[in-house]
Amino acid sequence: MTVAALTERVAARSAGPGAPPAAGIRSWLTTVDHKRIGILYGVAAFAFFLLGGLEALLLRLQLAQPNGHVLGAQTFNALFTMHGTTMIFLAVMPASNAFFNYLIPLLLGARDVAFPRLNALSFWIFLFGGLFLNAAWLVGAPPDAGWFGYANLTSTQFSPGLGVDFWMLGLQVLGVSSMLAGVNFIVTILNLRAPGMTLMRMPVFVWMALVVQFLSILAFPTITVAMIMLMFDRFFGTRFYDVAAGGDLHMWQHLFWIFGHPEVYILILPAMGIVSEVVPVFARKPLFGAPVVIYSGALIGFFGFGVWSHHMFAAGMGPVADAAFAVSSMLIAIPTGVKIFNWLATLWGGALRLTAAMHYALGFIALFTIGGLSGIMHASPPVDLQQTDSYFVVAHFHYVLIGGSLSGLLAGLYYWWPKITGRRLDERLGKLQFWLFFVGFNLTFFPQHYLGAIGMPRRIYTYAAEPGWAFWNLVSTVGAFVLALSFLLLLVVAVASLRAAATAGNDPWDGRTLEWRTSSPPPVENFAALPPVYGRDTFWREKHGDRHGRRPTPAPAPPPGPSHLPSPSRLPILVAVGLVVAAAGALVSAWIVVAGLGFAVLALFRFALEHHANLAHAHQDGVTGVDHRKLGMWAFLGSECMFFGTLIAVYLAYKGRSVVGPRPHEILNIPVTTVSTFDLLMSSLVMVLALAAVRRGDARQTRRWLTWTALLGLIFLGFQAFEFTSFVREGLTLQRNLFGSTFFVLTGFHGGHVTLGVVWLLTLAILSLRGRLAATDAVKVEVAGLYWHFVDIVWIAIFTLIYLIP
Amino acid sequence: MSTSDPGHGEHASVATYIKVALVLTALTAIEVGAIYIRALTPILIPTLLVLSLAKFSLVLLFFMHLRYDTRTLSVVFVGPLLIALAVFLALIALIGAGMAPA
Repeated sequence: MTVAALTERVAARSAGPGAPPAAGIRSWLTTVDHKRIGILYGVAAFAFFLLGGLEALLLRLQLAQPNGHVLGAQTFNALFTMHGTTMIFLAVMPASNAFFNYLIPLLLGARDVAFPRLNALSFWIFLFGGLFLNAAWLVGAPPDAGWFGYANLTSTQFSPGLGVDFWMLGLQVLGVSSMLAGVNFIVTILNLRAPGMTLMRMPVFVWMALVVQFLSILAFPTITVAMIMLMFDRFFGTRFYDVAAGGDLHMWQHLFWIFGHPEVYILILPAMGIVSEVVPVFARKPLFGAPVVIYSGALIGFFGFGVWSHHMFAAGMGPVADAAFAVSSMLIAIPTGVKIFNWLATLWGGALRLTAAMHYALGFIALFTIGGLSGIMHASPPVDLQQTDSYFVVAHFHYVLIGGSLSGLLAGLYYWWPKITGRRLDERLGKLQFWLFFVGFNLTFFPQHYLGAIGMPRRIYTYAAEPGWAFWNLVSTVGAFVLALSFLLLLVVAVASLRAAATAGNDPWDGRTLEWRTSSPPPVENFAALPPVYGRDTFWREKHGDRHGRRPTPAPAPPPGPSHLPSPSRLPILVAVGLVVAAAGALVSAWIVVAGLGFAVLALFRFALEHHANLAHAHQDGVTGVDHRKLGMWAFLGSECMFFGTLIAVYLAYKGRSVVGPRPHEILNIPVTTVSTFDLLMSSLVMVLALAAVRRGDARQTRRWLTWTALLGLIFLGFQAFEFTSFVREGLTLQRNLFGSTFFVLTGFHGGHVTLGVVWLLTLAILSLRGRLAATDAVKVEVAGLYWHFVDIVWIAIFTLIYLIP
Repeated sequence: MSTSDPGHGEHASVATYIKVALVLTALTAIEVGAIYIRALTPILIPTLLVLSLAKFSLVLLFFMHLRYDTRTLSVVFVGPLLIALAVFLALIALIGAGMAPA
């Protein structure tokens, strides 16, 4: 079969260029189209948002008056826990993902994301993870330890029920979704830009998305480690957060906030990106200082990893740590302020059109600034000691999250609704909806600054009449219902729009970027022909010329040819089902965990091999000249640096703190470990020999070296099994002391990675044996090799830091 | 000595890979030997860290091919690596500073 005939067959299986999108629920369950996945994320995010909103209304009802009897203390704790968790992980983040999914390929001039099936997998894992988390309500065990789950409140001693288990497992599942999406969009943005679209010509929204993806893949590993340690403490009796055994409760706080602070930038940067698109369009001026806005966003992302302990000023870290994090937290306000001034400068002298989208963008600037001002106060430790754990903090983060993130997302909704649906939202009702939102929001949260300042603590389920908090609490509750009304109105506006005719047209706003160059909604293939790129705001330049009115010379039309569109697949949803069944099994029975994981692994095998023989997938080189899969693996390995770095740091931080023995110097066997280290180093050598063999098309040598690599890996695992069993015989177990807990978890996870690698390599060897691994598949061996070598260099670090250094 | 492969950049030769493997073996032997030499005790930790870093770099640059690949990959990996290292050091310092005396 010729390549052309094969490509035709593949294209015919999917909705080809110009074909209408497939209909029916099955088509949605198996979709890999980024636009549909974006819509799925958006609908799910909105549904969870309504749930989180309902939780908030119940909280406000309870606090409307002193000595409230609407809710008991336990239910109140569960509601604020789930409200926070839902809004952050199930509403705002997925809503941002909805925009990333729908728009990034369009903004880049691409036909889809780099890994369409992985994209679908991210969505289904998110959805099932969110449903799993909320299933806790149905079994009467909602999480109630706060969205931040501080140790040791989350220990089995103080939280013996299933609530914390649901929370811990649910967040780990959601973390997998974020990681996959992060890798996917990094590769998409770097590799799938249309010809002529350099990085600095990308829309600012795409830049903010790129920064967010790096934040995601670097922040989630740390909370994953924190959760793994909590899970092991709760399920297996390890000592990570056991103070009596030498554990430090600050460890949880540090690990959580190393994730938690970048997380807030994950929440706000997409909204900032949206505002950076909306304001120029409705001011009819280019974004003032666009490169500076981009650099500021990147700086915010980078510095976001250096400020986390400003959430811990009251935790007793000491003056040096307090001072260091105070300075870094104040410094990070600078790039944020730069953006605000750039938006204002964009507005200045512009021909303003006050559409509903623009209302929200302007609202963002005002409300986020207020939130930022209260935030800069928190950056000062002495001031923060007054404000922390009071309603002043609650006011701050709602100003930045609702006034900031949500306003930005709503601006995006109004702005891009015509592109997504082909219909316009009613502008008059939209502006009314904005004002209801604006008034309701400020009524709810502005008084909370005052309440915090006069001493009302947060996370209290009721209060007495004496402190004088009643009036402003009542005002806040009224505001919350006005805010809720605004979202009901939003629903009405949206439904009315969907019932109307599709008359928005391609470019209702006279937009500046590529998504407005195609139909509304776009066809399956996004663009009939890949669009030309003339600079930043390329579509504006094409229509109106540059600032001197000079229009670019139209680029020649690209030669016609088949465009490869990804085929629908049921495997993403099946893998997600297996994963969540495994998570649920952890609460019920180990056999269900095994069954769930087994199903997920089988589905993953089919997922990995689904397009193995498809020649259309053989070469996936992008703009960087690097294959998508190779680039994706390098991005993933960057996140693995955080994962293993955190695990090793925990080991070293806890070193010497075990209350009872055995201790490292009494038990570690350096001669035996030296041999296993040599074994693993040699496995890296034979791995590169395998890669060299597959590149020159030598199947026999490929098989030999792949098998040898796997065998050496198995030998390493054998050494590890010998070490583990001898340690247990000598009295060192997971539960024995801190050394046992940290050592076995660190080396155990490394061993798990080796095991995965062995399975991967044996799979490749078997494919080669069946004549299904040719020179065109060399990149697959290369990607497996990168993973394998990384596992080796992690061991290099472990061998030195854990075994050799006294 | 390296060979070129159009579309993939330069590659190290098999001889280079074997040399790297031998150097890695030697460095591991030196590392292990160093812990038994009393005279090196005052400088043992920096010595081990330097040797470990050398091994780490050799695998990264040659076996993982970063030396021959496009700079984009270096940025995509080394940036996160540096952030991980900074967080690693800060975490040890912060928890260590809070440690009660033995």
